[in-house]
Amino acid sequence: MADTHPEGAGTGAPAPFDLSQFYQIFFDEAAENLEQMEHMLLHVDLANANDEQLNAIFRCAHSIKGGAATFGFTDIAELTHHMESLLDRVRRRELSLSPDLVDVLLDAADLSRELLTRHQEGETSEPPSTAALVRRISELVTGSLRTSGTEAGAVAAFAVQGVHSALEPALGKGTSLPLRRLALRIGPMQTAEAADEVADLLCSMPNMVQLDELPVLQANVRALVLETHLTDDELRDLLAFHLSDEQLGIDQEEIIASADSAMHSEAGESQPSELMGDEFFGLFSGAPGLPVELLVEPEVSATNIVPQGKPTGGFEHKMSSASQVEAATIRVAVNKVDQLINLVGELVITQAMLAQNSRDLDSRLHQQLLSGLADLERNTRELQESVMSIRMIPMSVVFNRFPRMLRDLAFKCGKNVELVTQGESTELDKSMVEKITDPLMHLVRNSCDHGIETPAERVAVGKPEHGTITLSAAHQGGSIMIEVHDDGRGLSREKILRKARERGIPVTDDMSDQDVWALAFEPGFSTAEVVTDISGRGVGMDVVKRSIAALGGSVEIDSAEGYGTRISVRLPLTLAIMDGMSVAVGDEVYILPLSTVVESFQVSADHVNTVAQGTPLVKVRDEFMPVVALDKLFDVPRSVAALARHADIMVVVEVEDNRVALRVDELLGQHQVVVKNLETNYRKIPNVSGATILGDGSVALILDATAIVRRARSTRSLARDLGELV
Amino acid sequence: MPSILAVDDSPSMRKMVSFTLTGAGYHVVEAVDGQDALEKAEGHDIDLVLADQNMPRLDGIGLTRKLREHPKFKTTPILILTTESSEQMKQAGRAAGATGWLVKPFDPNRLIEVIQKVLR
Repeated sequence: MADTHPEGAGTGAPAPFDLSQFYQIFFDEAAENLEQMEHMLLHVDLANANDEQLNAIFRCAHSIKGGAATFGFTDIAELTHHMESLLDRVRRRELSLSPDLVDVLLDAADLSRELLTRHQEGETSEPPSTAALVRRISELVTGSLRTSGTEAGAVAAFAVQGVHSALEPALGKGTSLPLRRLALRIGPMQTAEAADEVADLLCSMPNMVQLDELPVLQANVRALVLETHLTDDELRDLLAFHLSDEQLGIDQEEIIASADSAMHSEAGESQPSELMGDEFFGLFSGAPGLPVELLVEPEVSATNIVPQGKPTGGFEHKMSSASQVEAATIRVAVNKVDQLINLVGELVITQAMLAQNSRDLDSRLHQQLLSGLADLERNTRELQESVMSIRMIPMSVVFNRFPRMLRDLAFKCGKNVELVTQGESTELDKSMVEKITDPLMHLVRNSCDHGIETPAERVAVGKPEHGTITLSAAHQGGSIMIEVHDDGRGLSREKILRKARERGIPVTDDMSDQDVWALAFEPGFSTAEVVTDISGRGVGMDVVKRSIAALGGSVEIDSAEGYGTRISVRLPLTLAIMDGMSVAVGDEVYILPLSTVVESFQVSADHVNTVAQGTPLVKVRDEFMPVVALDKLFDVPRSVAALARHADIMVVVEVEDNRVALRVDELLGQHQVVVKNLETNYRKIPNVSGATILGDGSVALILDATAIVRRARSTRSLARDLGELV
Repeated sequence: MPSILAVDDSPSMRKMVSFTLTGAGYHVVEAVDGQDALEKAEGHDIDLVLADQNMPRLDGIGLTRKLREHPKFKTTPILILTTESSEQMKQAGRAAGATGWLVKPFDPNRLIEVIQKVLR
């Protein structure tokens, strides 16, 4: 017997630190792994998956299992262990990556996510059951095994059976069975090779140590001496797909160690890898890197069972250049970044203040100060840009959710849909990404549900069976353009007009397409003939439009009946900084979002007409538009100078194709403003979307152009009618 | 202060290993996979390598093999810390020139104990 491991040297001692401090990292990491696995499962070419891809998928499950086991989330560890076993067989090419298999793995990923969330939320909810899914995975393994060859069959049996034996030690539970020495007979098999295969397989199982091979008379029979914790029944089960009961002889047995000591593998002569230490922590005797006193020559023992060459060959690693780049990133809590952005915002304000205060300084006397201020301005701007870029994340984060959703949805609708994504690397502010996901989901769902026809319908009109939904993102100036485009049936003018009439919306047959499509955004307006369980969620296009507008964005529909629909969503790059135009009304300064400003001009007061209902209108290039007098809206006294001018300055703002002229006293200029939330700092004010701090330290309100235009909109159709009359 | 190169593709595992080792007074260099470890091994004085087995780009056994080819790492202790506990894997590790095989989940005390044994 070899020396025993010193007892109590840490085996029973509690960990010296609290594991929970690493939980969050594990949760994030596991979520990432699940997402990555899902992504790969959905994108892999089932028929021609390469080793690299299969290994990468395997590694995701493997990493989660390792982490879950370490941190004590045994339910996740067990489920992912099953996934890992299945994937291990796939990467060894013993199973092919069939759609069924992908389905099961996706479900398992979903369930793992649920389990993760539950642990993350402090395990307050009922634990979801994993049993059914585990059974499905096992069935996949065993089901395939009757059709695939004998060797695969036996390995599969191990994959199912071995789950517990492999996992339990990994979870530190240990096995309760004593270590037994058995003489086993395998065969007679059909061929000598088959007998060899089973023997090899048996020896490669965990907790199974071959001590000797006994001579036999027949070529197709093997006799082995083994040590194992398994019972006879377990052994038979393990090999049931490979051997009949008669083909497996258990000739004699001897219990050589109790369960406890077996865990420390003290059966000296049976240490095939000559591990000094127990099964879980050990050094190889005679291995390079050992200190001199531990460097004993390895005993070449007759019990060294592993066939040379074969096992190591399987672990040859291929280098991949296309692997994920993780190296140069760090994880930072969002609130830290928010704080950084706030501080930079303050800095921008301070800088603006200094710039304003120093404007009147004599540049000859204060040359150094002024050049310093110029540097400060440049550095501040660069710092601001860098800080903002920290929050930018690629659109792929959003797009990655779609393949899965669409796969399930297309299946539900009985449609063939292919998703094409473009511009995934386009970056968008994280806060925007979170808010745009739901509206986009709705649009894609609509495209699949209402846009794409059934395969039969498509074939009937000469289209390919497969419908295509294209999801794209691209930068366009200071904004980002996201498009959802499908090659489905398109919108029907007549249907929309008919529906509009039913709902009492005033429409005419010669309305422009653009105006007709815009009707789809009216509240409660659905183009669906039948409300299905997919679309009938009480979320209409009006909600989509509103949530996009709330982000300072806009949405447009373009469609051709029979050819498809394109929905374009335009969003600002970030919510925290905005290009604004400052205007003066009396002594007050207001900021208009520059993206809404179309033009500004001066008109003599006579050009403003007040028609019925008291709404003033102004005629601009043959078009009448409502005038909103900001001084009246906010009850600010106008300056004497403005009143004396006999002319009004109008700023035309456009929101959702509606234009309104805002009457102001003075245009002050354009600049970037740091947007401060008024609701959290003060309270909500109608027609105001936020506030900013100006260079002189005063607060200016940022106008909510959408609300102001909508307010004046009731007179919009009236104005248009007048325009047509002129 | 001895330097340990800790290699694991899992951030949480890396963090935990690193925390354990730093707490025991070692200097830790972290690497995210075998390839990264090889590159970092070039630029640092490393007294011990503690590597995961399953990693993208280059696994633990592959890393061990590469390091052993390098004269600088002929006798540096290399420990594989992995969830793999099969005899074949251990053998493969041994054949590649690993000094020892440790199975996850690891007990921090035992890990330090083993490291102290080889770094003495």
